[in-house]
Amino acid sequence: MTGRPTSTLRDGARTAPRRARLKPTNIWFALPAMAFVGLFFVVPLALNLPLSFSSWTTYRSEIVWNGFSNFSLLHGQGYLINAIWVTLAYSVVAMLVQNVVSLSLAYALRDSTLLNGFFRSLFFLPVLISPLAAGYVWRGILDPAGPLNAFISMFWPGFDFAWLGNITTALPAVAFVDAWKWIGLTTLVYIAGINSVPREVNEAAYIDGANAWQAFWRVTFPMLAPAFTFNVVVTLIGAFSAFDVIQAMTGGGPGAATRSINVLLRIQWGLGNFGAGSALGLIITVMVIVAAVPLVAWLRRREV
Amino acid sequence: MSMRRGQRWAIARYVGLTLFAIPWVVVPIWMVVVNSFKMAGEAANLTLDLPSIWSIAENYTAVLVQGNYLRALGNSLLISGVTIFAVVLIGAAAAWGFGRSRSKAMQVAYYIIVLSILIPPTLIPTIYLLRDMHIEGSTLGYILVLIGTRMGIVVFLATGFVRALPPDMEDAAFIDGASRLQIFFLIMLPLLTPVLFVGSIILVITVWGDFFFATFLLPGSQRATLPLALYSFATSSVQSFRWNLVFAHVVLSSLPLIVAYVFLQRRIVGGLTEGALKG
Repeated sequence: MTGRPTSTLRDGARTAPRRARLKPTNIWFALPAMAFVGLFFVVPLALNLPLSFSSWTTYRSEIVWNGFSNFSLLHGQGYLINAIWVTLAYSVVAMLVQNVVSLSLAYALRDSTLLNGFFRSLFFLPVLISPLAAGYVWRGILDPAGPLNAFISMFWPGFDFAWLGNITTALPAVAFVDAWKWIGLTTLVYIAGINSVPREVNEAAYIDGANAWQAFWRVTFPMLAPAFTFNVVVTLIGAFSAFDVIQAMTGGGPGAATRSINVLLRIQWGLGNFGAGSALGLIITVMVIVAAVPLVAWLRRREV
Repeated sequence: MSMRRGQRWAIARYVGLTLFAIPWVVVPIWMVVVNSFKMAGEAANLTLDLPSIWSIAENYTAVLVQGNYLRALGNSLLISGVTIFAVVLIGAAAAWGFGRSRSKAMQVAYYIIVLSILIPPTLIPTIYLLRDMHIEGSTLGYILVLIGTRMGIVVFLATGFVRALPPDMEDAAFIDGASRLQIFFLIMLPLLTPVLFVGSIILVITVWGDFFFATFLLPGSQRATLPLALYSFATSSVQSFRWNLVFAHVVLSSLPLIVAYVFLQRRIVGGLTEGALKG
């Protein structure tokens, strides 16, 4: 009794690949997301270009084309090159600290044991603190009266140094705090990457006479490449938008030693120079594109 | 031989990790908490000692009263809640659309949305746009911007997840006469729960902590979120930095996420580790 329908169904499946499936008109489901991203991400991104070359300020309501005067205004004050340099140095330091520390932590905590779980959770705590709050925490640690100097004084009596008041140390210090805040998250990405490497591959390397160091660099690390690419690109580019930590710790000082592009943008905004602010936003966008494309391409080539 | 060497290595590793964790996490947390219990003068020394005079009630009352804490907490909860709910729902729907479509146009739209993860949103044109829409400086405007700029990560994670799912269940439900909306809410959304959970964690961390966009889009203490309240509280004192009060504010601002984390930490750490693998 049931024989016939079953056989026709089977025949049908064989002759025409049964795509009685949902037609690809699912576009309606994607439409709200497209509308939101289009209006609040793509439109501002496109608007940024004309606004960067416009004379929009608090004092003038009409917005007209004014060529490169926003850029030359910033450059003339000597702010522009400094801000780009500060942002780049900050990003490189934050990226290096973050990836070196989290890769080491991930390697130490790669096995899912109870004790490792405790340490993973502990190192994840800073991720939950807002970047601004993290800035205040470390402003306390690095204060001349703070715990860091107190610790150094144990070996070097009378040690007194203003880490955030010194032109040389302030920038690496704020960049370090940015890395500190996010390391818990990148560590988890690296743990996932390390554990995706089959155990047998590592064991084979040991049997062939490799030591732990060699096994890591020759076997595990190349297979970690997707996680490495992701983390390096995300941490570097993320730091191009540096603002919160700096605002909490130094406000851009001493002098202009930690005045990143976004801190300068905030200053220009306060002065009512909206065109100059847009120009700074455009510089970050260009920097991200310039850094991301070759970096992704280069890192991809190193992947197995 | 390997047994003993393995054990010795494990002990060395945990000693190393503990020595690293003390300055890295334990001292910062201890310094913040213990100094938030001190009087202003004593806290200015920023030592790790216990307070000689305890001032818990005074400090924390000051944060609640002058620090605009409760209103900011309410605003942060509202903004994060609405944003995450909207992004997860809209993002999951889009992921289903993108994951099952082979059209070129949909492909392009998907890549643009993914690009929004990498390219930071531009601030001043956003303000220009909100001004044009007459919602500048409103909570609504800020939430809409957050939804539009945080959508990418959820769409990206969930689309990868949809592509890995065989379409059999949807097909079967469709043949049985289920509508698209029914299929989405009754089949796709439950299947996507793990990846949406991971997306929500990333969202809550970034939205809760957002300071840059909030500074420009949310003027005035009425609409302030927790980072804004902390910043204006910390910068309000003209004479000197009141470490005890600033740290008390830091403690109270960080507490909601940390409490949630204590209850959910296994799922959060596990989910992020697995989610990272798929993304």
